[in-house]
Amino acid sequence: MKKQLPLIIVLVLGIAMALQFFIPSRISTVTYETLNRWIIVIAAFAITLAVGSLISHHIIKIKRRKPGWWNSYVALTGLVVMALLGILGRINGLNWMSAFYFKLFKYVQAPMDSAMFAILAFYMASAAYRAFRARSKEATLLLISGFIVMLGVIPFGSLIWDKIPDISEWIMMVPNMASKRGILFGVGLGMTATSLKIILGIERNWLGGGGK
Amino acid sequence: MKYLEKLTKIDRRVIFLLVALAVIIPLVVPLGLPVKPSKYSQKLYDVVDNIPPNNQPVLISADYSPSMMPELHPMLKAIVRHCFAKKIRVMVMTLDPTGAALAEDALNEISKEYLVEYGKDYVFLGFKSGTSAVMMSIGQNIRQAYPVDAYGKPLDELPMMTGIRNYADIPLVIDIAGSAIINQWVNYAGTRYHATVGAGCTAVSTADYYPFLQAGQLVGLLNGMKGASEYEHLNEKNGYSKASKQASKGMDAVSIVHLMIMLFIVLGNIGYFFARQKSSKK
Amino acid sequence: MRQKIPGLLLVLLWASLGLALPAQQVPVAPEPAAAAIAPTTGIKAFDTPNDGGRAITITWQASPDEAKGQVDGYEVLRSETPEGVFSRVGYVPYGFTSFDDQEVPKNASDFFYQVKTVGKGETGFAISAVSNPAQSREQWFNAARINALIATVLFIIIVIYFITRAKRGQSLFIRRIAGLAAVDEAVGRATEMGRPILFVPGISSIADVATIAALNILGQVAKKTAEYGTPLLVPNRDPVVYIVAQEIVKEAYTEVGRPDAYNPDSVFFLTDSQMGYAAGVDGIMTREKPATNFFLGMFYAESLILAETGAETGAIQIAGTDAVNQLPFFITACDYTLIGEELYAASAYLSREPMLLGTLKGQDWSKAVIVLLLIAGVLLSWLSPGIRQLILNMLIVG
Repeated sequence: MKKQLPLIIVLVLGIAMALQFFIPSRISTVTYETLNRWIIVIAAFAITLAVGSLISHHIIKIKRRKPGWWNSYVALTGLVVMALLGILGRINGLNWMSAFYFKLFKYVQAPMDSAMFAILAFYMASAAYRAFRARSKEATLLLISGFIVMLGVIPFGSLIWDKIPDISEWIMMVPNMASKRGILFGVGLGMTATSLKIILGIERNWLGGGGK
Repeated sequence: MKYLEKLTKIDRRVIFLLVALAVIIPLVVPLGLPVKPSKYSQKLYDVVDNIPPNNQPVLISADYSPSMMPELHPMLKAIVRHCFAKKIRVMVMTLDPTGAALAEDALNEISKEYLVEYGKDYVFLGFKSGTSAVMMSIGQNIRQAYPVDAYGKPLDELPMMTGIRNYADIPLVIDIAGSAIINQWVNYAGTRYHATVGAGCTAVSTADYYPFLQAGQLVGLLNGMKGASEYEHLNEKNGYSKASKQASKGMDAVSIVHLMIMLFIVLGNIGYFFARQKSSKK
Repeated sequence: MRQKIPGLLLVLLWASLGLALPAQQVPVAPEPAAAAIAPTTGIKAFDTPNDGGRAITITWQASPDEAKGQVDGYEVLRSETPEGVFSRVGYVPYGFTSFDDQEVPKNASDFFYQVKTVGKGETGFAISAVSNPAQSREQWFNAARINALIATVLFIIIVIYFITRAKRGQSLFIRRIAGLAAVDEAVGRATEMGRPILFVPGISSIADVATIAALNILGQVAKKTAEYGTPLLVPNRDPVVYIVAQEIVKEAYTEVGRPDAYNPDSVFFLTDSQMGYAAGVDGIMTREKPATNFFLGMFYAESLILAETGAETGAIQIAGTDAVNQLPFFITACDYTLIGEELYAASAYLSREPMLLGTLKGQDWSKAVIVLLLIAGVLLSWLSPGIRQLILNMLIVG
């Protein structure tokens, strides 16, 4: 029953929602909107469990003195402080907490986000250096077009030859777009097939352990 | 020739250091690399430039979050500076909740550089959720989407909003976004309500909008930091702005880093070819 | 007689005064000002098709003055009776000759419409004749989506055909997918080195099919790690994905007969911030030094940060995503990359279950059908733009 019940629920709701797409009546629309709201409610409950997992994970790290365990104190402190500032900051009289919350967001979290984003520049350079080798004719062609596109977006490209930006634009608009669309066709079919397999109970790995 | 083989083994820390220097030095010592505006940036600039001053306002939608700031924020600032310099009225809104603070910061900063007055020369409408619903509401009447501005003041009490009903009274809509929301502006504002739409997007997503440019559904497009630097350059060239050109400094750094990456790739391949030749001789 | 003369003079005086003074204005009902703009004609109202009711579509022929650029737009007015008060229900700019009234108060009740042409500037307005009565009704099938239904049914037929063939024991050839063929080797490597396996199920929600595909593979990988006793680490960005992943791993260990080996802390929630998650996973890779990294699911800008850090630690990396923009980063930094639909083929490829393989073949043949249709469509559209437009209209899902 433990495996049967989820399969039945998925089958019934999967077929119902697939049919809903073709039925415009009000009952159909209301059902769809209600289910969407339920998903939001379930996700909200899931956040509670997720935060529990986060706290438990870090407490275990601290207890077992795993490498970098002191960072877990920082993580837990951050969690508690931001939660308290955000929740209590809405009470009249404690608005300074809300202002402090936004300051922490603007001057701590946002710069850290930007710093992680900035790492991409370094990693792109090291990845390109390590991996871009003209091992074959196709790889060579890829490298040459890559160079043209890179030159096309900087001023040096038009200094070398004023047609480079136009060629760069053509590479992005034609062969690049064509290959993207080809992959997207396959992805669309793959998504449909996977959804069908799950609804019909053919694919059961999501139940755990292969679902047999 | 051993040192040529060693070209495949440059320590990544050396690469990181060189990239860091390639980024920092141009930011500290601007190189002033020549900027040649691309045709789509020039087109957008020209459309803005031709809007009559002290008349109907431009609507700018700043639909981006802090992570996309480096590319998109300079675009917003450059366009607002252009408008303020030419006394073109501006309405700024956003459909991204984290974009509101960024847009407001930009307006507060730039309004001090020009003789502009809130309510008469510019209005900040703030964030509204609903994306396509907001775009369609503006098509009916902007007051349906925004009955009040971001500060709670009814639009009817703002002098510049007199007679501004919907897209018919807005000569240009510019969407600055790092997501596919530009498609929705083109579909709803442009196709449905005949609005003239321009856009600014991140460099990664530029190719997705070329079909709209070719079809004339977008009158112009700013392509990432490059587009922003081109707009700043045009502002400076026409005497509309003397502010420091953030995107142009960034483009100097981007240009040097691009060249450096190409150099690394070439060096890596030289080393690879020599190593391969050596092993095939053996 | 003498008394009559002054009276007569008085009368004459009044009369002369009356003639001299301007005639007093008597209020006259003002005549309606002549419309400076022509109204619309041919107004028709009918139930909006393919909807859930409470909507009526109104169409009309544009005002002749629209071609002269004198029209700003059209206001649509509604009333419950043809002689009643008409109130505004919507507005469309010039160029449009239809409007969907989506706030009809009730179904199966007559409503009447008029269209008010609004002129630009001082040109005024003009109101059309009243439309026919129209009633809104709800439909039970959206005919505009019949093309999607046909395509889905065709796809299902192809898939069922191949599943049937697979059930009969016919072997179905599937080409080698390097990334999937390397899964066993990757798990074995981690076991030999005594180091954990890191599995990142993407950063999207459970609603994303790529995440579900990744979780399917997690089930299979978890079975192997349960059999070999290899530690498994599954950090999650989405709370719902975390819960599902936890259940999948727990069930995998139970299925293999090793429930005692299951570590509840191996599947955990990290953060829902994109870059915070990337930083957290990077930290895990640097500290725990997993021997194998799986990056499967939906990824965004953090893909290179994850893959490059993993490459630095010397792990063998298998990535798979349908995010086309991130594929170049994974291909550069990972040992094996599953491109697009290969991610969805993974569970069939790894388990080799006949029914799953049958679905995979069905998927491939459907792609072949699409390619043939594309070629046919391109050739036909060269013949005439009309055919091209017809084909495009057939493909639009309403």
